Amino acid sequence: MDEAPGLSDQYRTASPWPVFIALGIPISELGLLFGLFPLAVGGLLLFGGSVVGILKESGYVTSTIRAVTALAAIFLAFGAGLAFTDIALVTRGYAVIAAAILLVVGGVVFELFVREQRQTF
Amino acid sequence: MEVNGQLALTVLMGVFLIAVAAWLARVEDWRSYTPLAGGGTVGGTAEQYVSEEKPSGVIRWLTTVDHKDIGMLYGAYALVAFAVGGLMVVLMRIELADPSMTLISNTFYNSLLTSHGITMLFLFGTPIIAAFSNYFIPLLIGADDMAFPRINAIAFWLLPPAALLIWAGFFPIPDVIPAQTAWTMYTPLSAGVGSGNQMNAGVDLMLLGLHLSGVSATMGAINFIATIFTERNEKVSWANLDIFSWTILTQSGLILFAFPLLGSAIVMLLLDRNFGTMFFSVDGGAILWQHLFWFFGHPEVYILVLPPMGIVSLVLPRFAGRRLFGFKFVVYSTLAIGVLSFGVWAHHMFATGIDPRLRASFMAVSLAIAIPSAVKTFNWITTMWNGKIRLTTPMLFCIGFVSNFIIGGVTGVFLASIPVDLVLHDTYYVVGHFHYIVMGAIAFAGFAGLYYWFPIYTGRMYQVTLGKWHFWLSMVGTNLTFFAMILLGYGGMPRRYATYLPQFATLHQVATVGALILLVGQIIFVWNFVQSWLEGREVQDGDPWDLADDDLVTAEWTWFERKLETAVTDGGEEETELATDGGQTVDDADAESADDA
Repeated sequence: MDEAPGLSDQYRTASPWPVFIALGIPISELGLLFGLFPLAVGGLLLFGGSVVGILKESGYVTSTIRAVTALAAIFLAFGAGLAFTDIALVTRGYAVIAAAILLVVGGVVFELFVREQRQTF
Repeated sequence: MEVNGQLALTVLMGVFLIAVAAWLARVEDWRSYTPLAGGGTVGGTAEQYVSEEKPSGVIRWLTTVDHKDIGMLYGAYALVAFAVGGLMVVLMRIELADPSMTLISNTFYNSLLTSHGITMLFLFGTPIIAAFSNYFIPLLIGADDMAFPRINAIAFWLLPPAALLIWAGFFPIPDVIPAQTAWTMYTPLSAGVGSGNQMNAGVDLMLLGLHLSGVSATMGAINFIATIFTERNEKVSWANLDIFSWTILTQSGLILFAFPLLGSAIVMLLLDRNFGTMFFSVDGGAILWQHLFWFFGHPEVYILVLPPMGIVSLVLPRFAGRRLFGFKFVVYSTLAIGVLSFGVWAHHMFATGIDPRLRASFMAVSLAIAIPSAVKTFNWITTMWNGKIRLTTPMLFCIGFVSNFIIGGVTGVFLASIPVDLVLHDTYYVVGHFHYIVMGAIAFAGFAGLYYWFPIYTGRMYQVTLGKWHFWLSMVGTNLTFFAMILLGYGGMPRRYATYLPQFATLHQVATVGALILLVGQIIFVWNFVQSWLEGREVQDGDPWDLADDDLVTAEWTWFERKLETAVTDGGEEETELATDGGQTVDDADAESADDA
């Protein structure tokens, strides 16, 4: 059955990323607000990874690793701001910095091992 | 102990992330197989085939970016929230059947009161509107989908976590209690100052949830503005844009200015509570919160009421057999309300002792906003005047909307007047007034829309008699409950209390009976909705309301008709009716008349 007869649907009607972006935001918020290090890092990773995923999927970025690095740089600046300025929320700052580093590591791993594999399909 | 907890959390988070990654890899691979599985590409490119493919089962709903699916998700979510918020208030009303504390504790009453308000406004009101707008705006303006389909999905998926956070205090989590700040979250109470228990993490969780729902609403608003501006079919100009799209466009503009402010104020409050800032704890902090909150809070009222007005403006003429009277003026009044709504916020603060000259200006604008509202009411009534009225269930709800809106609106005009407000402030009169709007008008328009478009999104027809029962029980229940509240307010009954003086008992009992009548009505609605969806009569005609007779067909029904036609000809979906060679279904009546001939 044609869901939208007469209209051209030239885009995909499914994407796995939105759910995880939406989950990443509250998890990281909870982690940062209550100072729960693992939640903050995990939430930011989920959020950051999914943002890069959705940007790649929709064609707004072409290089995964560059998008990951850009996002990690933003996280790094934010984390440094929390940890090393007068705000002095040290643990939370380190959580954001840790997330930034892990995000870059994840990006490199994806670039080196996973992406190659996927193209062979 | 502390280290163990962190370790457990780390492991848990790690396992969760790995599971997510594994699942994503599978889904991504699965999708890359799809074009191959599609096989032939007759009549289209491979890309086209992929784009129309949807995963099946739960995965479909988790991954969809189709505006119609997301509309359905919003609708389901909103109705669940409506049930939760409704059951909360049923408990409260039963408690209020008796002057003293009987069924539930006073603190639990306060918790329910807080959650009822937030649930109904943010988890039911805004999402039910988003349900209609997501499903129908692209159809009405001839767009393929929303401008940003993925952002649309993100906006929806922020809402379930928001609901869990807002209700977190009610879950059996150790050391977390529900917020008791009322939905207005006035400081210093909500800042956790003093000897009360509002420093509890339950309040933080509620604030986070509220913040999330605000982010969601803002994303949705940006999407609707972009969609209506850029995705319209070339035949849809500003001059013939439908009234529902106009109201959604205006509402989205309001959201864009109001919700980020709420978000910022909530972040400030969270900082005050957790990181030692002093935004709201210094001199003037309490009044600062009220200004920030109501600068959002009053436009929020119009954010909630404008699209339902759009639904009524769209549906009511269909059953009056006439076009909307004074269409242009309904649009102008929508825009006027949108602009004026940002100039009235301090009328919530007349009793705080702000400068009398400021109060007077806010009184003037508040009274002025009655004019565009009255223009709309006038136009709805004149549309029905001498019309060919058909009292279908959606029409009944539309007429109920107009009736309740008049009572809610006129009681509001009195509140806008400073001297009257000083007497009635913080009494049940205010509660009665705004419930006439939020229940009597907004929810009624929601029901009108749900019944009117039921054939489109279910392919079936609801049960007419049950629909009428639902309407009449809702109408009687609403007026009984909330008129009793208006009288209670005149009597001086203050709002928000779990107990009261015995002299108010009779009217409180009337209100409780009204609430129970409403409950019965909504149970009938749920039954009708679910059973008709599963087993209702299938709609064969693309124009089940016979709108073509009066030349009142709108784009979404044309779309529906084409959808039915293609469904029959390509045999794509569960066919129960026999299709003839011409692709027309033969129903029993036609077959019999053919036999007779």
